[in-house]
Amino acid sequence: MIRNITIGQYYVADSVIHRLDPRVKVTGTLLYIVSLFLFHNFWGYVVAVGCFFAVMVLSKVPFSYIVRGLKPIFFMLVFTAVLNLFWTPGTVFFRFGAIQLTWEGLRKSVFMAFRLIFLVLGSSLMTLTTTPNQLTDALEKLLRPLRHLHVPVHEIAMMMSIALRFIPILVEETDRIMKAQMARGADFESGSVLQRLRNMLPILVPLFVSAIRRANDLALAMDARCYHGGDGRTKMHPLRYQGRDFAAYFICIAYCVLLYSAVTYLPML
Amino acid sequence: MKEQAKKYIIEAENLAHEYARRDENGDVTEIVRALDGVDVQIREGSFVAVLGANGSGKSTFAKHLNRLLFPTEGTLYIDGMDTADSENTLAIRQTAGMVFQNPDNQIIANIVEEDVGFGLENVGVPTDEILLRVEESLKETGMYSYRRHSPNHLSGGQKQRVAIAGVMAMRPKCIILDEATAMLDPVGRKSVLDTIKRLNQKEHITVVLITHYMEEVTQADYVYVMKQGTVACSGTPGEVFQNVGTLKECRLEAPQITQIVQELCRAGVSITNEIYSVERLAEELLRLKSGFKG
Repeated sequence: MIRNITIGQYYVADSVIHRLDPRVKVTGTLLYIVSLFLFHNFWGYVVAVGCFFAVMVLSKVPFSYIVRGLKPIFFMLVFTAVLNLFWTPGTVFFRFGAIQLTWEGLRKSVFMAFRLIFLVLGSSLMTLTTTPNQLTDALEKLLRPLRHLHVPVHEIAMMMSIALRFIPILVEETDRIMKAQMARGADFESGSVLQRLRNMLPILVPLFVSAIRRANDLALAMDARCYHGGDGRTKMHPLRYQGRDFAAYFICIAYCVLLYSAVTYLPML
Repeated sequence: MKEQAKKYIIEAENLAHEYARRDENGDVTEIVRALDGVDVQIREGSFVAVLGANGSGKSTFAKHLNRLLFPTEGTLYIDGMDTADSENTLAIRQTAGMVFQNPDNQIIANIVEEDVGFGLENVGVPTDEILLRVEESLKETGMYSYRRHSPNHLSGGQKQRVAIAGVMAMRPKCIILDEATAMLDPVGRKSVLDTIKRLNQKEHITVVLITHYMEEVTQADYVYVMKQGTVACSGTPGEVFQNVGTLKECRLEAPQITQIVQELCRAGVSITNEIYSVERLAEELLRLKSGFKG
């Protein structure tokens, strides 16, 4: 199941979006996600969805690839939509016993579903076009002002990048431990949810022990290679803004203006 | 004579290290003396192997060479720098680079070339210089074509070569391999050994190979055999392998080839002792055979 999550999986392609500075992409994605929640107007969604597809075409990432990111949130999506559909008061258009559907509920659940879907699609598109390393670099740079508040920005970025490096290794290890336990007769597929959770324990304990051992080894290896925190550190690939990055920032602003005018000036739908 | 003139890069005198085991209250319950009076001198540019069974203190010794540990007693100088002085930490780690056992647990970055540059970033080398040195050391270790790969898609031997490249990029005088081949398959082991041999011969990097595989030791100039934190015996591989008794005491066994040669000698075959590879032995046997005919 872990393998299905698209977040953190880079799609190799050569596109304008891939080449953008990761800082632009992070800022842009954040802006996009926030913007999804700021309007309740049909036209706003037209603009947001249109922009998403425009960027997607530019990025050369196939739609089927991005949609995979929705799988893990599918249940949550249905759940929110159903909740909104049944429990929003308003004009009733369908009634069956205690169940009643309202136009407001329908509208709200569709909009909510749209927001969630495009939240995930938007961030997936960002992570698919940005290597995890670029991402942590971008966060380190963007959050740098927080250092003055004694937030260990460099350390957090380093931890993220190490976590990303070890995710595939630990996934593989989980797989190996599971198979080893299965070979000894362990059963992970049947029984109640509680029972299955309890059966996971023999996987978690060795996994944690191994993770701690790896952490210890890695710390030693980092020490041996002169790691001593973020001070006085240089970068092999420092982030430098190019012309296209400023253009991208400008497009982000243009998107906000377009969205605002669509929501404000077009008739409410 | 020229070899003699070279100075010592590693000088350990009466080196001792104690690990203290503590209980929950932080009181010392047990003191383990992992190193006990080790005297080792390694010349610049040489290829030295340190042999030992599990728990012989060879890994503790390796960690001293990189100042991951420092002496409890005695002294250790790396290229003239005292490891007891914490001021020297970064300089020592740049002089003596270290490659560890587990290939997965020593690669930090998500891309090969960034991992090779990691050490250089830490010591604040300018960007252009980093790119240059990373390219150079990736070419030296034969991993240049993998520079954009994720380490997860490499084999164990390739990962170890990336780790070696990471050390080489620092331009050290000495490289320490702490059982770096222990987790590899024979192909990976050969590729790693070939790489370090080439670095030793071409770049004149001092190599300290810590291992418990006797076969790897045959290529070294000099061998130290460790047992319970002390040096049990030392010498050229040929000399060390003669000491079958001492080796047994250290829970080690001479390589199969050496054993065959020794058996042949004992059986009265006039064969030289300095044979460490299957090819060499075959050659020698053929020569003997043709000698009989002639």
